[in-house]
Amino acid sequence: MALLEVEDLRVAFGASTAVDGVSFSVDEGKVVGLVGESGCGKSVTSLAIMGLLPKGRGRRTREPVQAAAAEPVDSGLKVAASAPQAVAASGGRGRRGGADVQGRAAFDGTDLLSLSPAAMRRRRGKDLAMVFQDPLSSLNPVVPIGRQITEVLERHRGLKGDKASKEAASLLDRVGIPDPLRRLKEYPHQLSGGMRQRVLIAIAVACAPRLLIADEPTTALDVTIQAQILELLKDLVETEGTALLMITHDLGVVAGICDEVNVLYSGRVVESAPVRELFRKPTHPYTVGLLGSIPRLDLPIHEPLTPIRGSIADVIRWRDGCAFAPRCDKVAAPCVDGEPALVGAVHAHRCVMAEEVA
Amino acid sequence: MSPEQTEPHVPAQRTEEPDLSGAATTPAASPLLEVEDLKVHFPIRRGIVVERTVGHVQAVDGVGLSIDAGGTYGLVGESGCGKTTFGRAVLRLEEPTAGRVRLGGDEVTALKGERLRRFRSKMQMVFQDPLGSLNPRHNVDMLLSEPLKVHGVGSKAERRKLAVETLDAVGLPKSVLERFPHEFSGGQRQRLGIARALMLRPDLIVCDEPVSALDVSIQAQVMNLLDELQDEFGLTYLVIAHDLAVVRHLSDRVGVMYLGKLVEEADSETIYENPRHPYTKALLSAVPQPDPEVEATRERIILKGDLPSPANPPSGCRFRTRCPWAEDICAEVEPEWREAASGHKVACHFDL
Repeated sequence: MALLEVEDLRVAFGASTAVDGVSFSVDEGKVVGLVGESGCGKSVTSLAIMGLLPKGRGRRTREPVQAAAAEPVDSGLKVAASAPQAVAASGGRGRRGGADVQGRAAFDGTDLLSLSPAAMRRRRGKDLAMVFQDPLSSLNPVVPIGRQITEVLERHRGLKGDKASKEAASLLDRVGIPDPLRRLKEYPHQLSGGMRQRVLIAIAVACAPRLLIADEPTTALDVTIQAQILELLKDLVETEGTALLMITHDLGVVAGICDEVNVLYSGRVVESAPVRELFRKPTHPYTVGLLGSIPRLDLPIHEPLTPIRGSIADVIRWRDGCAFAPRCDKVAAPCVDGEPALVGAVHAHRCVMAEEVA
Repeated sequence: MSPEQTEPHVPAQRTEEPDLSGAATTPAASPLLEVEDLKVHFPIRRGIVVERTVGHVQAVDGVGLSIDAGGTYGLVGESGCGKTTFGRAVLRLEEPTAGRVRLGGDEVTALKGERLRRFRSKMQMVFQDPLGSLNPRHNVDMLLSEPLKVHGVGSKAERRKLAVETLDAVGLPKSVLERFPHEFSGGQRQRLGIARALMLRPDLIVCDEPVSALDVSIQAQVMNLLDELQDEFGLTYLVIAHDLAVVRHLSDRVGVMYLGKLVEEADSETIYENPRHPYTKALLSAVPQPDPEVEATRERIILKGDLPSPANPPSGCRFRTRCPWAEDICAEVEPEWREAASGHKVACHFDL
């Protein structure tokens, strides 16, 4: 059984659906990528798994059927999430800015989405941890980094005082920060961007989590530093058997680190495949378009790029047809005739014209 | 502030108008932009009552290059290498500490006051953050007319006509004139930023990270647009970017900067095929390629550590603290900027 199994995850903020039925799984010692452009729902997916989204009123309940009988409001939203139109109708009833999270995210058999906030807090940082994109705003600017690491060690591993400091220093050493004892006393602003990201990774791995979620961990960094951080993450996966969920927009990063890839568009997986398979035979026109948009160092120079036309704002609702249809070059009548299904097992795609495209 | 108030110094009568024909004024293949030994040092000041200068950040420390008319020069480097400061100093948005900048035969570094202000119509800039560089309270008509007003070009109707033409060139419909920046997507905003830079039909456009804030599919659209506009308007580009693949795609000639200095310069084909400086080699090897087969076999040179402080750069070769091939001589003697092969310049003691 996979370590993390996400099934039919749906997240809505009021009337707008950010994640619209996403399923995937992550095995121990494997790297799974969630790829897509801004607004595709990749970050929201990770925040939902970590239980870091502000809760709306239509929060998932343990037994949806019973809840439906007892709380009509919740049941309304429960139905709502599976039908975008109804979400629009009842969206105003949720707490403002809150997220309605539906579906299942089973971690080692336990559904994380049904845990109480306290139970989730006990797991977060210990069993599963997260590395964010912007290391400066993820660290507390007025607390020395040593303290920010020992905080995790105290809470989850019960280490105190000297013991905790020693462990923090060895963690910094492990993520490749020179002179760790001195660095422990420094504040985030005294470190470079690459070092801050290493500190974040040190905090994330402090309790040897079984699942690490990295949300664009190298996007804010320069290429030479990006290479260092990716090596570090790869090393973690290989030596510790950590499962890594890698969220990124960079297909280069995906090609280098991921074992399996899920391409997201407008809140749904449009293609999922083992990494080599995906790059060798991209099937969904969106994946093809993304690959055609990237200037590459290993192809003849000045080869014109083939961008995807339009922007992510040109979208139709999934239940009316393929959300990518307005931007797709291969669009045909069946594309806008009802919901396209995700077809295939190992290499799955959500395109009704796939045979024609290939 | 209303747009009218921003131009109190503009005399009513114009003697020289910006060249609206779009053609570059210099013949092809002669350098349009020549930069010699440009330096920009920022003082570091300490003290509360009495401020003392305790040192200088050598953001740009002696960079020289030339760009042919109609050509594109790509300047790459990591954050903090001084590439943005260099671009700004070329346009005199930053005051150079030393060095000369010539554009089409005129010495930009010698211009002052009103003459400099008027000269700016020949050189424009496209910024990285399209939202931050567009006034949120101006609609597109105002945004695009502003440079023309500042330089006293045309009547209101003529300005509007030119705005519509330029919008068409960047692929936006006329109907957007009344809309405001927040109503556009990132890619459309960048098109507006490019349109604004084009309004005065400049000779040189400095593009500072023109696509790095955009999504992948939109990046390709904007890069193709920059290519088309170059042909249409006879533009010369200085493209500043950290993404080597983007720079390679856009440029004819590429310069690599490290800690305020150029370390290598060559035709874009040559520099990617046959990099000579260790830093260029490391940079190129660090770029992940969207191909798992390539990634599995790619040889990486992983550099240790971070960029040293530009206030106190290493002695000798500035790259030596991170260079895998560094030897004693690198700490003692600064490598000269030499031509290692025809048209291929490098600052390294060794032939690697």
